[in-house]
Amino acid sequence: MMKKWVSVIILAVLVFSLAACSGQNDKQDSKEKKEPKTQEVFKIGAIPDQNAADLSKGMTAVAKYLSDKTGMKVEFVPSVDYAALVTAFQRGEIHMAWFGGLTSVQARALVPEANSFAQRPRDSQFHSVFITQPSSGINKLEDLKGKSFTFGSESSTSGHLMPRYYLMEAGIDAEKDFDGKPNFSGSHDTTYKLVESGSFKAGALNEAVWQEAVKNHKVDTNKVKVFYTTPPFFDYNWTLNSNVNDVFGQGADKKVKDAILSITTEQKEITDFFQTDKFVETKNSNYGKIEKVAKALKMIQ
Amino acid sequence: MKNSALLLPKRFILSVFLIAIFVWSLFSVCWNSGLFHAGGFVTLLQIVKGAIEPDFTPDILANGLKAAWITLAYAVAGMSLAILYAFIVGILASGTLTSTKAAHLTSKIFFRGILGFTRSIHELIWAWLFVAAVGLSPYAAILALAIPYGGILGRIFADMLNDVPEEPILALKAAGASKLQVLVYGHLPLVRADMISYTMYRFECSIRSSAIMSFVGLGGLGYEIQLSLADLKYSQVWTYVYFLIALVLLIDGWSNIVRRGLVEEKRVNGLSIGWLSSFLTVLLIILSWVYVTAGIHFLDLFSDKNIQYGQRFFGGMFGAGNPHPAYLDKDNWASALKLTLETLKMSIMAIGFATMAAFITVLPAARNIANGQLTLKKRWYNWILFGFIRILYIFSRSVPELVWAMMIIFLFKPGLLPGAIALALHNFGILGKLWAEVIEDMDSRPIRNLSSAGASRWQSFYYGILPNVLPRFLTYILYRWEVIMRTTIVVGFVGAGGLGIQFKLSMSYFQYTNITLLLICYMVLVVIADFASESTRKAVK
Repeated sequence: MMKKWVSVIILAVLVFSLAACSGQNDKQDSKEKKEPKTQEVFKIGAIPDQNAADLSKGMTAVAKYLSDKTGMKVEFVPSVDYAALVTAFQRGEIHMAWFGGLTSVQARALVPEANSFAQRPRDSQFHSVFITQPSSGINKLEDLKGKSFTFGSESSTSGHLMPRYYLMEAGIDAEKDFDGKPNFSGSHDTTYKLVESGSFKAGALNEAVWQEAVKNHKVDTNKVKVFYTTPPFFDYNWTLNSNVNDVFGQGADKKVKDAILSITTEQKEITDFFQTDKFVETKNSNYGKIEKVAKALKMIQ
Repeated sequence: MKNSALLLPKRFILSVFLIAIFVWSLFSVCWNSGLFHAGGFVTLLQIVKGAIEPDFTPDILANGLKAAWITLAYAVAGMSLAILYAFIVGILASGTLTSTKAAHLTSKIFFRGILGFTRSIHELIWAWLFVAAVGLSPYAAILALAIPYGGILGRIFADMLNDVPEEPILALKAAGASKLQVLVYGHLPLVRADMISYTMYRFECSIRSSAIMSFVGLGGLGYEIQLSLADLKYSQVWTYVYFLIALVLLIDGWSNIVRRGLVEEKRVNGLSIGWLSSFLTVLLIILSWVYVTAGIHFLDLFSDKNIQYGQRFFGGMFGAGNPHPAYLDKDNWASALKLTLETLKMSIMAIGFATMAAFITVLPAARNIANGQLTLKKRWYNWILFGFIRILYIFSRSVPELVWAMMIIFLFKPGLLPGAIALALHNFGILGKLWAEVIEDMDSRPIRNLSSAGASRWQSFYYGILPNVLPRFLTYILYRWEVIMRTTIVVGFVGAGGLGIQFKLSMSYFQYTNITLLLICYMVLVVIADFASESTRKAVK
């Protein structure tokens, strides 16, 4: 008896699970048909290279500001993964994004008409720092030969791409010359923790993150020191997708660009989040060097 | 049962062989003092402090509650699809519905092949592939969970159907039952309890997978854990881990009730546990689907745009427009195979450590040993030991591999070893739990006879329990080993190496043909695991 009803139940569950999903779709079907097509939403994204809560707060402020300025419906779409954001941008699902140097180059390799148009003043003068333990005997890049080393996220400009470039300049092949393969810690904060604990002899990270960690005593400077700071390079920027005028009408791109470039400290929430007082113009060609390095490393196809 | 005098040496040889493989894997680690560094102790203390003082501010709690529900909802939605897929393909793969020998063999090979392919790829990788192909959609996550879980469940279902005792089936056949009738009245009732019990266990696993997978950008506990880890907020990490533990406990408790309900028909207020559970299951499934897919149309997955991007992505994987696809390149193969070997070694090390830890702890963790039912010996400390080890098991398997790895990397030199330890720490709790259940479910009469004949605890273990449970212990070791092999991807970031990290890099750099190559390597590994499992299962039968 019992065996029978259990079989019946298994079947019922299976059928229900099907019915549950298909029934739901039917409902939405009819709903969609009744309602007129709603206004397209202008979607903005950002690479997830900092605290998610702060990121969401700052970017939502940007969305609200853009919406007020341009009259469009603007929404922030969070993303957890660098590559996922680039993919969404390629698919035209993200109309404007706050990219790092490398991700903007990757995105423009996939969407050639896209345009990196604005950045903070500091983004044209960005640096990475190389850190190590004071007792490691490492004082210059060449000393890194035969030592263990960690980058940050593999898609990060200041945590991976440019440090790798300057290593190359110093004659060090990151794939061959370290003790084992280089590690990818996933975040700038994790990088200094790993070096501080001695897990890796040395590492490279974003200078701004390092300075903040030192300021807030998040890192023990008795155990970690900076031994090399890179020359300046271009990093973060706002990149506009190529489909903006098609979706939102002619001139939409100009409206958005103007809005971003006219942000002042009056938009305190935004400028605080980006740690800047304004955004300035930039252009695709500023990222030529990054593009070259990325191509050499086969990070873009 | 065949002659047991012949059986023991065979098992002995097998055990020696498996241990030898484990020892071989240990040689890949350079054992010296440099392996361990004390500098990370401070950081480890910070992490442990976070475990003792988790962040219980209302904001975080509310966030954790929501994340826990999302994790559960995705697991339920994914599992419901997986069961459907496993049930159908599993039956086909078992060959019970075919009559001629040729058809039997082809359906077995074909459907087992499908099951093998779908489970050879980790859910995280499926998620990446789906997101790349169809964009950030909840369906990407549901399918990513359903496909590998369906593959595993289906394979187990097929194994169970194949392993049913022959006599009742023959009797049914002799009575003139059709193939379908034999299946419905013969096979299915025989395996029903095992099937439900295993499905409940996989459901618990799917909770953990759903958490790990939540990077897809749809929230969930794993997402929160990963972000707090990246921000070095350990007390928050632990809050979310505790939510995960609570969720796992909940499912574990439910699964226990269901398992017991299958053995004895208990009634609560006139309703049997079976009915209550089924009602709850249906309710959960409906709620989860409604929540997860709210506002998103399933058919949108097949929009022109998605098809176009999917084509481009998969075309890219096959090397369309790429004059030098990675899978045709000798150097790429050489390095990929090296990584495959690393993955293999790491997984063997991990399952070896996990087996050792589970072996030491499993006896006191079985309920029927704790209450003295099995060995007829009661000791005052039995229940304390039982409780302690069971809590240890739950803790071990509820903490994601990623978090274990994060703690271990601060103490060990990066490489295969910390990765293997992290995987072992996570899996020993799973293995221990599964084994304890095997002991709980075993026929207690022979052991009681041994005990009342004066056998000591160890004697009754060695002569009574061990021969009885060894085949199933081995089966579980091999299943978990297979799972570990695919999970190595999760610990890749601690410098553990293997295929996982390379896969992540290829995804980040959009090197599609490389992805194909690495997927082939994963499949090679699963074929190896399948072969090993199959031959071991035969050897101990």
